[in-house]
Parts: sequence; C-alpha cells; structure tokens
Amino acid sequence: MIDAALPLPLILLAAPLVAFCLVALTPLRKTGVFAAQVVIAFSPLSLAAACLLFWRQLGDPTLVDTWSISWMSTGGDSLVQVGWHIDGTSAPMLVVVGLVALCVQVYSVAYLHDEPPASMGRYFAWQALFVFSMQSLVLAPNLLQLFMGWELVGLCSYLLIGFWWRKPAAGKAAVKAFWVTKTADGALLLGLIVLYSLSGGFGWEAGALSTKQLNFVTGLLLLGVMGKSAQIPLHIWLPDAMQGPTPVSALLHAATMVAAGIFLVVRAWPLFEGAPITLEVMLWVGSITAFLAACFALVQDDIKKMLAFSTCSQLGYMMAALGAGNMAAGYFHLTTHAFFKALLFLGAGALIHATGSMSMKQMGGLWRSMPGTFLLFTVGSLALAGIFPLAGFYSKDMVLESLHHAHAWGPLALLMAGVALTAIYVSRSLFLVFSGTCRTPDAHPHEAPFSMMAPMVLLGALSIGAGFILFEPFHRLLGVDAQFHWTPLGIAGLGLATAGFGIGYWLSQGRKIAVLAPAAALIRSAPLDRAYETVWNRVLLVSGRLVAWLDRYVIDGAINAFGWACIGLAKRCKKLQTGRVDHYLGALVGGAIAVILYTVIAFSVWGGVN
Amino acid sequence: MGILSLVVLAPMVAAIILLLIPDRSRGLVRLVSILGAGVSLVGSILVAFRYDLAANGVQMAEKLPLIPRMGIYWHLGVDGWGVSLLLLTAIIIFAGCFATWTLQERSKEFYMMLLVLVTGVFGVFVSLDLLVFFLCYEIAVLPMYLLIGIWGSSNEVPSGGLFKRAMQSFQVGSKSYSAMKLTLMLLLGSALILAGILGMVHHAGSWNLLDLQETQFPRALQLWAFPALWIGFGSLAGVFPFHTWSPDGHASAPTAVSMLHAGVLMKLGAFGVIRVGMVCLPEGAEFWAFAVGTVAVINIVWGAMSAFGQSDLKYVIAYSSVSHMGIVMLGAATMGVNGLNGAIFQMFAHGVMTGLMFALVGIIYHRAHSREVFKMGGFSERMPWVGVFFTIAALSSLGMPGTSGFAAELLVFLGAWEAHWWWAVPALLGAVVTAYYILRVARAIFWGPHTPGDYPDLDDLRGPEWVAPVILAGCILLFGFAPELLIQFIDDTTVNFVDGIQTALAAGGTP
Repeated sequence: MIDAALPLPLILLAAPLVAFCLVALTPLRKTGVFAAQVVIAFSPLSLAAACLLFWRQLGDPTLVDTWSISWMSTGGDSLVQVGWHIDGTSAPMLVVVGLVALCVQVYSVAYLHDEPPASMGRYFAWQALFVFSMQSLVLAPNLLQLFMGWELVGLCSYLLIGFWWRKPAAGKAAVKAFWVTKTADGALLLGLIVLYSLSGGFGWEAGALSTKQLNFVTGLLLLGVMGKSAQIPLHIWLPDAMQGPTPVSALLHAATMVAAGIFLVVRAWPLFEGAPITLEVMLWVGSITAFLAACFALVQDDIKKMLAFSTCSQLGYMMAALGAGNMAAGYFHLTTHAFFKALLFLGAGALIHATGSMSMKQMGGLWRSMPGTFLLFTVGSLALAGIFPLAGFYSKDMVLESLHHAHAWGPLALLMAGVALTAIYVSRSLFLVFSGTCRTPDAHPHEAPFSMMAPMVLLGALSIGAGFILFEPFHRLLGVDAQFHWTPLGIAGLGLATAGFGIGYWLSQGRKIAVLAPAAALIRSAPLDRAYETVWNRVLLVSGRLVAWLDRYVIDGAINAFGWACIGLAKRCKKLQTGRVDHYLGALVGGAIAVILYTVIAFSVWGGVN
Repeated sequence: MGILSLVVLAPMVAAIILLLIPDRSRGLVRLVSILGAGVSLVGSILVAFRYDLAANGVQMAEKLPLIPRMGIYWHLGVDGWGVSLLLLTAIIIFAGCFATWTLQERSKEFYMMLLVLVTGVFGVFVSLDLLVFFLCYEIAVLPMYLLIGIWGSSNEVPSGGLFKRAMQSFQVGSKSYSAMKLTLMLLLGSALILAGILGMVHHAGSWNLLDLQETQFPRALQLWAFPALWIGFGSLAGVFPFHTWSPDGHASAPTAVSMLHAGVLMKLGAFGVIRVGMVCLPEGAEFWAFAVGTVAVINIVWGAMSAFGQSDLKYVIAYSSVSHMGIVMLGAATMGVNGLNGAIFQMFAHGVMTGLMFALVGIIYHRAHSREVFKMGGFSERMPWVGVFFTIAALSSLGMPGTSGFAAELLVFLGAWEAHWWWAVPALLGAVVTAYYILRVARAIFWGPHTPGDYPDLDDLRGPEWVAPVILAGCILLFGFAPELLIQFIDDTTVNFVDGIQTALAAGGTP
C-alpha cells in the first residue's frame, strides 16, 4: 500500500486550503507573483496525492477508502458528516481537477503579468480556494458535503468572474451567474432535504426508496444540476461568465466547475438509476441543449462565447448519455472534454493575449506568427469535433452508442446533428483565426511565453491520447465492462464531422446561407436572456417595490392610522377637561344623583345590590 | 453572587461608574464602557467553558431573595440556549462599543444607555424568575427610545396611500417618529406579555420559570395565553404584521444601537416566545403552531421582497432582519429538535451577521454621507476591507456553506419540511431572494467604476473600527466551518425541552 502512513486525501485537501489561508490572510497577498508561486508550489502536492490515489484505485478498483467525522449533530445524533470517500468514481475526477488546475495556475502567471500585485494575490487566493472547494465536492462522503463544495465553487466562480470588478459588465456577469445557479441550488437543497426526510441521511444509496420518491428527489436535484451545468434554459449565465479572465473560463467554466453537475449525477447514480422519469427528462434536456447550444456557437464571433456555447453543448452530450442510462459514457466524456476544452480556452487566451481582441473577425492569419498555438488549438478543435483518434472521438462515440443502445432515436438524431454542427463551428473558427491575413492592422501577434505554452502542450498531449489510453482503465475503475468497437454509428459520426469541416471552411470565407440568416439574427439577439431580463425587471423588481410600498403605506399605514385614531380620540376626550368649576360641579352632582338613583332602584326592584 | 450575576451586572456597574466621570473625558468614557462590556464577554466565555455538556438542565444557578414574600427571587441559571445567547450578546455589545468610536455628541450618556440596555438583555437570557425576566425585558426595550430619539438620524418618507392623512400627522421617517413608534409598539406587546404572564403565575402560584414549565396549565388558559405571548414577544421579534417598527427603528438608530437591536434584541422576542410560550404552554403552542409557522413563512418572503424593493441601505438590512427573524420563528414553530436547534442557531448566526452588516453600514454612511445604494459605486477602490467584510456578511445572510448562516438555515428547513412540507418551499424561495437583493446591493456599492469626486471622504477601516468587523466576521466563519462548537450547547437543551413538551402533550391529551 502506498498510503500506509500518509493520509493522502487529507494532503489533497489541506494543500490548497493552506495555500489559500497563506495568501488571503497574510501580507503575502500583496507580493503578486510570489503569492502566485506559493499557490503553485502547493498545487503539485495536491495533484500528487490525487495521482497516488488514482494509482492505488487502479490497482484495486473495488477499494473504497472512506472516513468522516461529524460536522453537525442534532438530537444527539450526527446529522451531517464531513470527510472523504475515495472510490472508482471520485478518483478520476480528483486527477482531472488537480491537473487542469495546475495547468491553469501556471498559465495564469504569465497571462496576468500586467495586473497589480494585490490583484494577482487575490486571483491566486481564489484559485486555491476553488481547488479546495472542488476537491471537497469530488471526494465528498455524502451529498451534503458535495452541496457545500458545490456552493463554494459557485462562490469562487462569482468572485473570479468579477475579478475585474471595476468593469460594470464583469460585475453584472458575476451576479448573474450567482443568481441563476443559486436559484437552481434552492431546488437542489430542497431535494437534499426531501432525501433526508425519506431516507434519514444524505447518502446516495437508493435504499428502500420507491421509484416515485426517487423520481421526485432526483427531479429536484436535476434542477440544481441544470443550473450548474448550464443546461437550457438555465444556461444563460455561462456565456456572460466569459467576462472573467480566460484561464478562469478554462478551469471553472469549461473543465471542472460546470462539470460538477454531471459529476453529481455520476456520484448519486444509485438514486438516478432508479428514477426513469428523471432520466428521460435528462435525455431530452441534454440532447436539446447539445443541439441548440451548438447552433448558438455557430453564430458567435467572440471566440470565448463560441467556446462557452460549445461547453454547454458538450455538457448536453454528457447529460444525454447519463439520461440514456450509461453513466460511464457521460463521465468519460466529462474527462476528455475537461482536457480539450481547457486546452481550447488556454489557446484562446493566448490568441486574445497576442491580438488584444476577442473577436475572431479581428484575427486571421495567425498560424504564421503563432505556430505553436496554432498546432495546439487545432489539436483541441479536432478533439472537440470528435476526429479519430483524438480523445473526443472515443468519448463522443461512447455517448452516441449509449443512445443507440437505449433506442432513443429522437435524441440520437439531435446529437448526430450536433456532431456536424460542432465540426462546422470548430472549423469555421479555425479558419477564421488562423488562415488568411490578420485583420487587425496594428497588431503584432507573437507566440505566448514558455510558461503559457507548457501547460497547453501537456493538455494537448492529453487531448490526443486520453481517449485510447484512458479508455480501458477508466471503465475498469467504474467496474464497467466496455470495449471499443467500430460501429456504423461511429463511422457515420466521423463522416458527419468531416463533412462539417468542409462546411465550416466555406462559412469562414464570409459566405452566408441566406435562408438561415434570420435564425442567426434571432440567436444573436439572445431572446431567452431578454426574457429573463424582463422577468427580473418587470416581475421581480416590480413586485419587490410593490411589497415595499404595501409595507410602508398599507401595513405601516394602518399602524399609523391606529396611532392617529388614538390621538384623535384623546383630543376629543381632552375636551372633558375644561378647567371650569361649574362644569366639574355639575358632573359631580350628576354623578351623585346617578349613584343614588341606582341604589334606590336596585333596592326597590331587585331587593339589594347583590 | 456568581459568575452569571457578574455577566449581567458588569455593564450596569460600568454605567454607574460612567455617572461619576465628566462628559469631556471621552477616552475614559469609552475605556470604562469597553471594560464593562469586556468583563461580560470574558464572563460569558468562562460560562461557556464551565458549562458541563454532560449534565442536563440548568447550571451555575444562583438565588438571592428580592421580595421573598411574593416569591420573587434574583434567580439566575443557564442552559445550553442561554450559553449561546449570552455569548452572542457579549460579542455584539463588545463589538458595538468599538463601532461607535467616532461618536462625539453626549457620548457618556450614550454609552450609559447602551450598557443599561445590555444588562437587561443579559438578564432575560439567564433569569429563571419570570418577574425578573419581564423587568429585564423592559429594561432592554425602553432605553431604545432615548438612544434613537437623541442620537438617531432622520430620513424623509413622503406620505401617501390609503392612510395619507394619518401619515401626514406624523413626521414619518424622522428619528423621533421612529423612536416613538418602536417604543409604543413594543410596549403594547409588553402589555400582552404581562397579561399572559400574570395569567400563568396566578394559576401556578409561582414566579419560578422552572416550576412554571413543570406546571400543567388548563387548556383554556394555554389557548389564550400563548397567542398573547406570541404577539407580545413576537412584536419584538418582528413578527408580521407587527414588524413595521423595525425598518424605521433600525434605519434611524445610530450604528451600535442598530447592531444591538437587530443583533440581539429581536432575539429576545423570539427567545421569549420559545422559552416562556412554548416550553411552559405546550398545548397552546401546539394549537397555534400552524399559525406561528405560516406567519413566519410570510415574514421570510415579505421581508425579503421588501428588502428587494428598497434603495436605502439601512432599510435593506433592516428588512433583511425581518426576513431572517422569520427563519427563527419558523424553526420555533416546528416544535421539533431540528427546527428548534435551527431557531437558536439562527438567532446566533443572524445576530453576528446583522451586527456586522450594521457596523459596516454605519462606516459606509459615515464616509459617504448617504444611504442611497444605487447612487454609490466602486467603493472597493477606497475601502477594500469594508467590501470584504460586507461580502462575508452577505454570504452568511444568503446561507453560503462555510458561514454560520448555512448551518442554521439547513436545520430550520429540515425541520420545516418535516413539520409541513409547504412551509419549506416559500422559505427556501425567500432565501434565494436574499441572494438577489444582498448581492445586488453589494455590487451597487462596491463594484463598478469609482468616481472619486462624489464621495471625497471614503476611507478604509481605521484603528478601533477594525475590532467589530474582525470579531464578528471571525464568528461567522468559525461557527460556519465548525457548527458543532455551538450546536453542542444548544442540542441537549433542545432535546430536553422537546421531550418535556412531548410528555406534557401526551399527558394533556388524556385528562
């Protein structure tokens, strides 16, 4: 055993947490690059622990390393436990998170070198906090710890999208991301509460729950998943989230955090497996998202927005595979996607860094001045399009196969169309960016420095090799018996992708399909965003003001009126106090007469006062 | 005289010493006040350490005769609830003394009032004699009139609506109006409380709270006395629709007073409902629990939506208190272990959170000379740490894991779902709306471009101003990361009381 003496999960979690505390709470934060180096120095520690755990898991896939302590107890019993649960499901994700995080952190130093030292320190503090939160989400021994990590990565996302907080757009995007995901998380928390009341715990074993109960619980969980993993119609925050620095988009909004939703389903698979209605919904939501988001990506000129919609679309693939009942396929696509999409974002960062523009229309001809980036970006693009033998091909083929296996023809058709669309937008962007001549006259594009290239090379290697190298061990970890076969479906997918490349080239030459122009215009106008904005402004804000008005002028008004009436009454009564002796004397005599009369009547009529 | 008397009376002694100090020596005034609050803080921490978690029931009891012929004693003791609320009170008053550092006008009288008030608060949480309990309650409420009336700030509210004429006759929004409304509404509540208490004491023949909770009151008495206590104490806890003193009061009050009032005093109300109402009158409580919980849900949603509709910073935070006290009352209404644990935890969590909020709001108001949220912007440029602390408080209020707000809300929502599932749904929605309004406000103040010309005096925390935010944010994070530290005190007591209530209900069902 490797870890006879070393509590590896503890190292895994403690390293980023210590780094965060060091940078956030001490003056180290003001040192800029040094703070970054401190955080980066702790990252390999965490990654090494993750790799060792992964290695150990490969040695014995059935091993379950679990440990927890009580976090909060109520009624004398522990209500929530925190700790870790390392098994075949969590081990691969730990490595993915650790690896992409390290790549992104190394890359960020050069990317953000113009930032003032304090901002750099802040950035790396949030990075460390993110890694801690994400890893505690992944190795959570129960769904409540997973939820806590989930909320914390949401917080990191909010803070990192708003990294350039002086920019109004960044602030807007940060709160929008938080609001949308938090709204969905309300349903998620409710789902956990229902789960607790049904099963007496926050574990993911289905236990004695009936299908109806499972459908209900997982349905609520699914709403949270749709928010986090940007599924239509809750995807609207993700394109805006691109306001954050590009490395953040690579790590949080492509590779890991948005995949947390998929991971939740994978983790809680025993619950989802027994919930046919939820799976059916996931299947459709996933495939519709995969198709529509690919359409959205097609009309974007902003390279990051294009990639953001592409992420939505790929998350849709994962979701659809899960919905079709094939957990391993969805999870495997998550893994390969993390590598090639992180690579694409880092590549996009290098392009933006070099040209100072995010619009692909402003770029062009960059293959000459940035050959390394060109090569790597192409690798990432081909992997994304699912070209043999890159990583994306294997995982996407698995996804398609699983739908075929589930006889889900409608979703399968959507996904196949998505394959073609993916290839189209990928090649369109490739040709727009790299071929022809540069369309920004005064730009002097240059290759990114070594510290930015090295992480990209690593991710590039994984984008090429992860598919066939990891295929077998990955499935062994999950205890799934899977073999790769060439099938007609796989060949058809490859054919569609190749055809898509041709169309993409054609589109990149400025040609337009006139029939589709209105559709493109409609997508660009972001009707869903505007619908949400209308709801926000016309419904939420207005009802807030209405309630505030009611509170002030009706409820408090009534209380004021009560006080006013009391004063009014007192003013009337005050008049009895005239200060004139004759009035008082009259009242005295009148009172005396009344008493006497009452006594006399009482005695004569009732024979006594008693 | 034991340690509890020390905690309760230290601020009072400090207030008496202040009488002997000339007004002009402001440094000495502050020193004495901080010492008084500090003794209470140290005492409370000692109480927490000396509290024996293994033993049940009331501990560190002390009993001195006050009016023995009427059975009235200076009878103090703490249970687990008392420990946590003592800690809360001591933390808030200690932090509050630092938060009003810049006060110039009549600072001696200000601190005297503040200390007298806090004596009352301590007294409520530890007294086991119902008369002392009630007296302390009144002591805690009355100085507020002067504190707001003299040191408060005004804000113009246009008259309108159905009751326009009534509003025109008052200067709605002015500090004298707010002080008057607060005092009158709470006194009216006190009258109801007194009626309820007298009814109980008359029947049981004892002022002793421990005797009263053992007494089996007749059902008829329980059915009228509980709502009297609920509305009476509840008006201090901001129970809808008797919450309207709170936004005006908190908005007009000076910083330390808002901190203390929202942070601690509102808890007195909820504590009274639970400790006197529910524990002593279980049948009445059970009968009315449905109403209590439903009104609490209205509180949560109504408060959150009202906060959403405000543009005055202090009003936003004040309405958020109304919403969060709804969570406390919802937890109480479940009358189960999870819910009650959550209610007490939420009292603590909301106390430190809103204390921090009001401390920061005071600092922002002091420097920006404005409370108009949506005219501010980019304040992080000049006051980054205020922004950081504000964000921590905001996260606690929206229930972010890692802050104390999350543990509390989780417990309450669990309890609410178990009691009546449809309580939990709007309550959760209210929590989501909290995220809407609080982050909207945080962004409006701290994010975006900064225009230095409009707000020349902005500056980050200085000297003593650091004390309150650091202590309070520290508590938020400490008890957020390790809620067990706090819940260990609360849980046993809750289990005891819930057992007692269940036994009484079972006995009451078969007379």
